[in-house]
Amino acid sequence: MGKRLICQVADVPENGLKECETGDGLKLVVANAGGEFYGFQATCPHQEVPLCEGLFDGATLTCHMHLWQWDVRTGEARGIAEAPLQLFPLAREGDALYLAAAGGALDVGELFNGLAGRTLEALASLARPEAHAKGATLYRPGDPADDFFVLDAGRIEFLIGRGERSAPSGFMLKKGEVFGWAALLDGYPARIASARCLEDSRILRINGKRALAVLEQDSQAGFVVMRRLAALVARYLATSGVK
Amino acid sequence: MRIQVNARNRGYDFDAAPGEHILYAGLRAGIDLPYECATGTCGTCKAKLVSGRVRDEWPQAPGRKYVKPAAGEFLMCQCVAEEPLTVEVSKFVYPMEGGACVPQPASATLRSPHALTHDVMAFTLELDEPRDFDAGQFALLAPPGVPGYRAYSMCSHERGSRRFDFLVKRKPDGGFSQWLFAGNRDGAQLEVFGPLGKATFDPSLARNLLLIAGGSGIAGMRSILTRAARERYFERHRGYVFFGVRTLRDAFWLRELSEHAGANVEVTVALSEDDVPAEAKSQWPRLRFERGLVHEVAKRAMAGKYAELRAYVAGPPPAVDAAIRVLLLEAKLSTDNIRYDKYS
Ligand SMILES: Cc1cc2nc3c(=O)[nH]c(=O)nc-3n(C[C@H](O)[C@H](O)[C@H](O)COP(=O)(O)OP(=O)(O)OC[C@H]3O[C@@H](n4cnc5c(N)ncnc54)[C@H](O)[C@@H]3O)c2cc1C
Ligand code: FES
Ligand code: FES
Repeated sequence: MGKRLICQVADVPENGLKECETGDGLKLVVANAGGEFYGFQATCPHQEVPLCEGLFDGATLTCHMHLWQWDVRTGEARGIAEAPLQLFPLAREGDALYLAAAGGALDVGELFNGLAGRTLEALASLARPEAHAKGATLYRPGDPADDFFVLDAGRIEFLIGRGERSAPSGFMLKKGEVFGWAALLDGYPARIASARCLEDSRILRINGKRALAVLEQDSQAGFVVMRRLAALVARYLATSGVK
Repeated sequence: MRIQVNARNRGYDFDAAPGEHILYAGLRAGIDLPYECATGTCGTCKAKLVSGRVRDEWPQAPGRKYVKPAAGEFLMCQCVAEEPLTVEVSKFVYPMEGGACVPQPASATLRSPHALTHDVMAFTLELDEPRDFDAGQFALLAPPGVPGYRAYSMCSHERGSRRFDFLVKRKPDGGFSQWLFAGNRDGAQLEVFGPLGKATFDPSLARNLLLIAGGSGIAGMRSILTRAARERYFERHRGYVFFGVRTLRDAFWLRELSEHAGANVEVTVALSEDDVPAEAKSQWPRLRFERGLVHEVAKRAMAGKYAELRAYVAGPPPAVDAAIRVLLLEAKLSTDNIRYDKYS
């Protein structure tokens, strides 16, 4: 595919937002954060509300509907937001903005976005893309918990308990969400839930021990990831939800 | 009827009584399902059908513009289960915290309706049994012969009371308004569901309070002020109250608001369509009066006073949106410290 033009730099007001569409129909919002330009998904990850109607102070974007917030530079969720923003990296050439390489699931993801390029690359090289058909089971209780997963597309459902007595413990549908994170924790060698595809889904499979080894080489990144992981685990522990 | 809700973090099971709206059944079971208006306007309670069948009791609900019926989406606050259901809610859902006032249905008798202005009426509901609620909450009311519930904020606050006070601003051709203003409704029986709402105040908050009310939005603020005053909250924290009305003729409760005004509490009445009459200040020496839209008046008065502060906003949706814009962009408050009810 050739270069995809987004808009002219002059179209995006200082500390403002603009909704744009590429020639092939990809919609995104461009934010002008003090002269730096960031592109992200056009509708709110909560309910399909246009984010160009959001409130933007030059760094933080707030969806006016229920006040979810994000840092537009990293897509990271702030405050009560339950999902990150999917970013579309932009490249500036002269007075125009183009879409740079498509955002992979890893740098969209809630654990890894914004990490130093080299570390992100090392993690990406561990990631094995897999496609699973609707109904496929990714793991069951008792299976070894060696790998964790990043959702790229589709929808995954989790069940706790076995067979007849299993009960749903949630689902995932946002690109970049991480599940199976027991693989990043010590002392959880086996799955305690099952994960099943509710739709045809694409995931990235990453070995937990090898990812930890990469993070040990870049302890700053490791600290950021562990902080985010702690927040993630806490969010699920507030209920009986276990992934 | 068995209803299963699959949320992003876990699943929940509860029972709905015949004809009971799905949202109310879940809330009654202590599950904090997503909602804002609880009355079909905002779209926040959107869910998606996985299996079973629902009946929409109000297909004209304005909140339907946020749902795609072809994709199985519906509003939990307006729909009833016709079969056992499994639905999906695309959000994290938690059980209500221990100590939360779990909403329940009740019957109530309307007492002492009285006009506060040419188009605002106050009344008391006497519930069949005492009920707790948090300051700032609202309840759903259904008078006989008017289809659907309406949301109204409690203006009072008392633990374990049977008496809840309300105020209603007349809406031309509105179902509840017509019913209330058409005759003396003293003694009328209403169906009630509540308490509801997250714009709640508890003294353990320990922050300064900014209360911005557009018109009838002052209802919930009165509840918060009552609660705070009883705990002597304003001996330790500051309070800023902004009450927006069109003209002085539309203002009410100025005596009650004067009683709250003091060394640590500033109360400002913002008049959007009239200059401040000369006699206003002599008649109400403890109140401030300004000309302008309430969010603009608040913005001018509050510059530099946003530290350690929680804001509550209520009133017509455009007024609330305008105030939230100020609170986010000027005050830079964190979203947790912006609590609002849109009187949609
Ligand atoms: C959280 C909250 C708190 C509120 N607090 C107050 C308050 O303290 N004081 C106040 O004056 N107003 C308050 N309102 C507004 C109030 O709920 C009513 O919208 C308003 O009084 C107009 O009601 P009406 O019946 O006169 O008008 P209508 O136009 O007849 O109805 C208004 C609302 O009633 C509901 N409704 C109408 N028809 C149906 C139907 N067939 N089936 C189901 N539902 C229907 C809808 O929610 C509609 O938006 C509040 C609103 C909300 C969301
Ligand atoms: S739709 Fe954006 S926060 Fe709810
Ligand atoms: S909560 Fe159902 S539409 Fe507002």
